[in-house]
Amino acid sequence: MKRILAVLLVLAMVFSLAACSKDEDKKPDNNNTNTGNTTTDSGVLDKEITLTLWDIATEGDGNRPAYDKALADLKAKYPKVTITETVTENNAYKTKIKSAMGANELPDIFFTWAGAFLGDFVNAGKVHCLDAELQPWIDNGEMTAAQLGNSTYNGKHYGVPTTYNIVTLFANMDILAKVGYDHIPATMDELNDCCDKLLAQNIIPFGCAGKTDDTWCVTEYLEPIIEKTIGATALKDIMTFGKTWNNQGVASSVDLLQSMIKKGYFDPDGIALGNEEVKQNFMAGKYAFYQNGSWNCGDFSNAEKVKFTVKAGEFPVVDSANGKLGMLIGGPSDTIAVSEGANAAAAAAYAVEFGRLICHYGYLEGSGLPAWKVWGDTSSVKPLVQQVADICAKAVDYVLFGDNAMPADEAAIYLEYVSSVYGGAVSGADFIKGLTSEIR
Amino acid sequence: MKQKQKYIAIFLFLLPALLLFVGLLIAPIIMSIYYSLFDWNGLRALDPSNDFVGLKNYATLFNQRIQFGSALKNAFILAGLSVFLQLPFSLALALALGKKIKGERAFLSIYFLPVLISTVVIGQLWLKIYNPEYGILNTFLRALGYDGENIRWLGDQSIALGSVFVPTLWQYVGYHMLLLYAGVKGVSPELREAAKLDGCTDWQVNWNVVIPTIKPIIKVSVIFAVTGSLKSFDLIYVLTNGGPMKATEVPSIIMINQLFKANQYGIGSAIAVLLIILCFFFAILIGFIFKERDIYGKK
Repeated sequence: MKRILAVLLVLAMVFSLAACSKDEDKKPDNNNTNTGNTTTDSGVLDKEITLTLWDIATEGDGNRPAYDKALADLKAKYPKVTITETVTENNAYKTKIKSAMGANELPDIFFTWAGAFLGDFVNAGKVHCLDAELQPWIDNGEMTAAQLGNSTYNGKHYGVPTTYNIVTLFANMDILAKVGYDHIPATMDELNDCCDKLLAQNIIPFGCAGKTDDTWCVTEYLEPIIEKTIGATALKDIMTFGKTWNNQGVASSVDLLQSMIKKGYFDPDGIALGNEEVKQNFMAGKYAFYQNGSWNCGDFSNAEKVKFTVKAGEFPVVDSANGKLGMLIGGPSDTIAVSEGANAAAAAAYAVEFGRLICHYGYLEGSGLPAWKVWGDTSSVKPLVQQVADICAKAVDYVLFGDNAMPADEAAIYLEYVSSVYGGAVSGADFIKGLTSEIR
Repeated sequence: MKQKQKYIAIFLFLLPALLLFVGLLIAPIIMSIYYSLFDWNGLRALDPSNDFVGLKNYATLFNQRIQFGSALKNAFILAGLSVFLQLPFSLALALALGKKIKGERAFLSIYFLPVLISTVVIGQLWLKIYNPEYGILNTFLRALGYDGENIRWLGDQSIALGSVFVPTLWQYVGYHMLLLYAGVKGVSPELREAAKLDGCTDWQVNWNVVIPTIKPIIKVSVIFAVTGSLKSFDLIYVLTNGGPMKATEVPSIIMINQLFKANQYGIGSAIAVLLIILCFFFAILIGFIFKERDIYGKK
């Protein structure tokens, strides 16, 4: 009996450890053959070949259904191509892909973020140029040069954009109704008034994760405030084109965010919570607002408790002299890239079609807006996604997410300062002084 | 001639192990020292003539932003707690279990269980315990009558370090206990009986007979505790990743962040080299402290 018990315990432990493994191999289902109107010369995909694919579409990720459907479609179209997919959680993936890059062990096809993140890989000469594969799609209008801008380096295209996302102010309209608001506050005065009324009813206005790994969540608040204060061009100059951080508008934006935190507009527990916990709190009705990427539309549209009550909007203008509605943080960032190597030609042909299909299904599932020209039946697009699409339709300008736009070393310093801002350790003046001396 | 053949045979038998030792231990250390002298991002090819910066990476470690000194201080605090809190507790458990108490095997397994469980699982468990909203710790405090703001065990700079150290120390109590227990069990029963016949109490037997006998094992435990603390990483990474605002940073966390987040391969390698030096230094120091001496303090 004791032996049986011991064997059972050992088995339970082995299975529990296996279940905790972050990487998982997945094989696509072969049950959907809709590949849309593709024009890629895919002769290289008509012979037996195995391609490796790394991405971050974990089981709980909003992109997983789109990946599954895209893989299934391509399996039906190219039965001789075998994809070995390895899925890794977002933060671990950033470490893993950089290690693989350093060790010359990149997979054939990999998910990446456009901007400086992919730029480092391109500069290292390890990413395959996709000009030849993308050109037919550009020529027939399915893909635009603007959408490719973030993954274009020295005039050459190195990435296939999938969906694009913007920072979105999600509001629980049922909660806002309790304080007399039937719309998302459109001005700072309205926003302050709304937050004060919410606090009077013991409702926390905003939720924001502050755990070290999730500092990017704080940038989802800070960057729109800066943009609506100094304008998109000035922010783009700082983040993308290397202008100095010594900007009084940035300092006053930091002070504004901190004043909101001090007034109790943000959940004080947020600093100890991860993004998933904060998001769940919002979906459970704990906060009135949650400002984060539009990739959350799918989850909010499917969540029973909030699917009819959440609306999408944008953060109000702070300084109308420079900031305007329609100045947005985001743009095409989620990208599929191909490594240089023996399989590069086949991988490139596959990656372009794969990226386009992820875009199509991701748009339908609500995990982002289409970077490619929309095709097929889109009647099932979620209303929340449509609201974000309406915001984008009126966009004046886009500034890429700060940690994507900046090189890794600068982004790491920037995120450390942002973390200190959320923790109340540095003021606006300290923020610009520190970043000016340490970055530029 | 025979002697020469003998040496060749010895060399040939040692060669596979030597190659493994050099390939897996010495070569990476040498490579780390080499890379620590360059300003290199680890992605592109290294250009020795342009990227060489000498010892600049070591100096950079102690600037205001990276705060390596503060992380080192945290590691030393953890090492101190390990030696003066964790090890005495482990020793007490080992001595208690070594007395052939009822359920000895069951207790051994229970105390050793945290060592067997994946650190990520333990981290997730303690994240739930520390959760400010529904965590069992705050729930317990509220049940005792606490009605203040939620305590943010991992989010408050002033208490985060202590909160992170509790599970770190707890996890390896069983490990040290098992080492020491093996030593306690190895103490000759005749020695114990002789002490008992001389009228020693249990405490006196442990203090005067058992502990001096297992001193070599205590030395090993102390070395493991100190070097393990200097290298501590996984549980802290899962719980806070060094936050809030660097309050729980230890050298390995900075190393990983510099290597893989900031793409500063040179600085990351410099930290690796310093950690190796510190671990060797403390291993030698502890060995020296534990050296057997005569009553005049001489070996």
